[in-house]
Amino acid sequence: MTAALEISGLTKTFGEKVAVDHIDLTVPQGSFYGLVGQNGAGKTTTLSMAVGLLRPDAGGASIFGADVWKDPEHAKTLVGVLPDGLAMPERLTGREVLTYLGLMRGLAPEVVAERAGELLAVLELDRAEQTLVIEYSTGMRKKIGLATALLHGPRLLVLDEPFEAVDPVSAATIKTILRGFVAGGGSIVLSSHVMALVEQLCDQVAVIDKGRVTAAGPIDEVRGDVTLEDRFVQLVGSTGGAVKELSWLSN
Amino acid sequence: MAIELTMVRMKVAILRHSWKGAQAGLVATGATGGVLLAAGTIYLGGWDADLFGAACAIWMLGWILGPVVAGGGDETLRPEYFTLLGLRPRRLATGLLTAAFIGVAPLISLLALSGLVVAGARLGPAAVLTALPAMVLQVAVFVLLSKVAVAVMGIALRSRVGAVGAGLINGAILAALGQCWVFVMAFGGSGGIPAGLVRALPSGWGLAAVEAAGSGDGMGAAAALARMAALIVVLLVAWAALLTRRTGYAQASARDRRPMRATTREGGVVSKELRTWSRDLLRTHQLTFSLAYGLTFGAAPLVLGWDGMLAWAGPIFVTMATAMSANLYGADGTALWLTLMTPGASDVRGRQLAWLLTVGPVALVLTAVLTALAGASWPLLLATVVALTGGGAGLVPLVSVYALVPGSDPHRRTGNPLRVGEDGAAVGLVYGMLLLSVLTAAPAVLVALWSGWAGVAAGLVTGGLCYWGFGRLAERRLRTHGPELLEIMRTGRRPSGGMSFKMPDLPQPQKTIVTICLTLGAIPLFPQGILAGMFLANGSSVKSWFLALYMPPGLRWPTAVFMMLLGLSMYGAGVWIPLRLRRRLAREAAPAPAPLPGA
Repeated sequence: MTAALEISGLTKTFGEKVAVDHIDLTVPQGSFYGLVGQNGAGKTTTLSMAVGLLRPDAGGASIFGADVWKDPEHAKTLVGVLPDGLAMPERLTGREVLTYLGLMRGLAPEVVAERAGELLAVLELDRAEQTLVIEYSTGMRKKIGLATALLHGPRLLVLDEPFEAVDPVSAATIKTILRGFVAGGGSIVLSSHVMALVEQLCDQVAVIDKGRVTAAGPIDEVRGDVTLEDRFVQLVGSTGGAVKELSWLSN
Repeated sequence: MAIELTMVRMKVAILRHSWKGAQAGLVATGATGGVLLAAGTIYLGGWDADLFGAACAIWMLGWILGPVVAGGGDETLRPEYFTLLGLRPRRLATGLLTAAFIGVAPLISLLALSGLVVAGARLGPAAVLTALPAMVLQVAVFVLLSKVAVAVMGIALRSRVGAVGAGLINGAILAALGQCWVFVMAFGGSGGIPAGLVRALPSGWGLAAVEAAGSGDGMGAAAALARMAALIVVLLVAWAALLTRRTGYAQASARDRRPMRATTREGGVVSKELRTWSRDLLRTHQLTFSLAYGLTFGAAPLVLGWDGMLAWAGPIFVTMATAMSANLYGADGTALWLTLMTPGASDVRGRQLAWLLTVGPVALVLTAVLTALAGASWPLLLATVVALTGGGAGLVPLVSVYALVPGSDPHRRTGNPLRVGEDGAAVGLVYGMLLLSVLTAAPAVLVALWSGWAGVAAGLVTGGLCYWGFGRLAERRLRTHGPELLEIMRTGRRPSGGMSFKMPDLPQPQKTIVTICLTLGAIPLFPQGILAGMFLANGSSVKSWFLALYMPPGLRWPTAVFMMLLGLSMYGAGVWIPLRLRRRLAREAAPAPAPLPGA
């Protein structure tokens, strides 16, 4: 079976810094894949290159067999993306953003209207019907971003920090939506540095450190008999265990 | 002084990091231009005090209006950085002011104002001694006026009324400045510089102090210096008060929430853009600015009883609007990712249509009404406005993808809603765009001058071609270089390799040719070609410095046309030589690791 997302040898250098160093990852169809790593480990860069938002120095990616760089038209209809911290059409309301994007995707106007209404209601954005996206809170921005990723009914979701700044009630809703998506045969890749969340949601995990994959596979295999958090610190911790304290604060 | 010194060190550190690579080149280019202007000002200081005073007034207006027109001024250190420190507003303002003196623009202004010392040297040692503090105070006045203007604008742009009002005032002032000769002729009588006015403006107080000291009037000199010091204190207090009122981004207008009724891809983009044009107060400001500029520029000569320029308000409006929207994609920031992730989206065409729908009707109505009022030539005006509007609709997306100036994303623009670009590139883009916009109208204007109504047809053809062709180029660029453009917006830096705007290193003789062509091409094209043509068409008897008008009658038109062609080919050669070399280099280089789709 073709993988939902196949990343091979992706590499990116910014100036002197090697941000992503020959990363290979395979996301099988129907899996819920977690990408964990410290800040600056290369998660966002990897995901951006995997979906075609950043041109890699070397390597490639394919979505359900469609090459992201050689056959972008096909690859991009299969994937829904939630990038971290990028702008939206800021002067539109949530409903208008979805209408505009639905039309751009070539969906029929009545389908767009129906899906937009449902997404706004489920994500509890319908109360802010008159609010422009530029006035949204960070959590609301995440939610409208997720709605844009889901709108065209993709088979793969690539989500960069989808739960950051989202309140617990909305997070529960989003988790339900995502689990339902996977149960229905969809595949998800999400990045996070909240280990508990990854343990709770994902069945596969990859640990990224300094632009390389240090461990990858089914979550039980990766963490062994400790928690994912402990395993993660073992894998990427450079301080040798002892957590430093701030001398002037602890006294 | 601790805070002030810390802020100065902070600014030095930031500047040191940001002046690298292409950025440094931009700064160097800007600085060279500034030094030349400063040298001119110093020269005036030694030559004619009235002219020097007028030059100071222009420097002051530059400080006030520069940030308004493009970029929002120097904000290397933003007030927001210090919000959590709990500094008192005045302390914060003093610190920021001290740091504001570190930079290229204040240094160049200081250099220009050393013309005061030169002027003083003719008047004696007391005048020279007075010139030293006067110089420093004068720069402080400039910097503070600029800061206060930006702060006032920031507050004005929080409401629609404010945005419209600010746009009208700024446009009118700038256009009046461009037409100042009209007012000089009307009010100056003999055509000289109004000496009293020049010294009464805050920009002339330094000069007044130096002259008073030179004529032995110590009290007068002290009074002028004290006036500057008092103004500085007042401005500082005002700025500190305004800083406390500085809040978030340019807010959107609350009205206008009709449902989106578009049913096609392109229709979706058009609706999005039209909503942005009507809701983004920065864009509202740009449009009203352009309108006020065009109207004031065209109407100013009415002061002299001459209505020959009135009808040109429409074309001037279009050119200004084109220039102000030159960074269309940059202003939307990283929202570009949605276009990249949506296959088959025709973003460029939708934006073009929306721009046309926003600017076109206003331009046409304005031109029609004023042409009728002033009794100007219908074919000429219509041809110009049609060609300019089509040209603008093509140029805006093209320039904004080829010369993208990265800035903060709309939702991250703090405090200063004018702030779009991080460097002077935004200003350069506006000027470059003015030039390009005028070029797109040149063919239609020529045809209209020669054969009347055929010019309108020519305008429709060139306008349509620009719309179609430039739009196509922009779309292709977006498709092949989309990820690179997004990276520029995300990081604010141009990616290394792949998409450099830098010209390849040319052999010395070719470099000289390119430099000469690009710097001097404007002279045959504009004054000697187009302007001379306009004078010829109007049957003007003024020869001025237009070569064509000194020729025997039969050779006048051929000379003007030759000059235009010469100018155009100089520009053509200046662009073509480096492009050819770059293409050759690209062919010789190894193929890129990731092939470009559709390239």
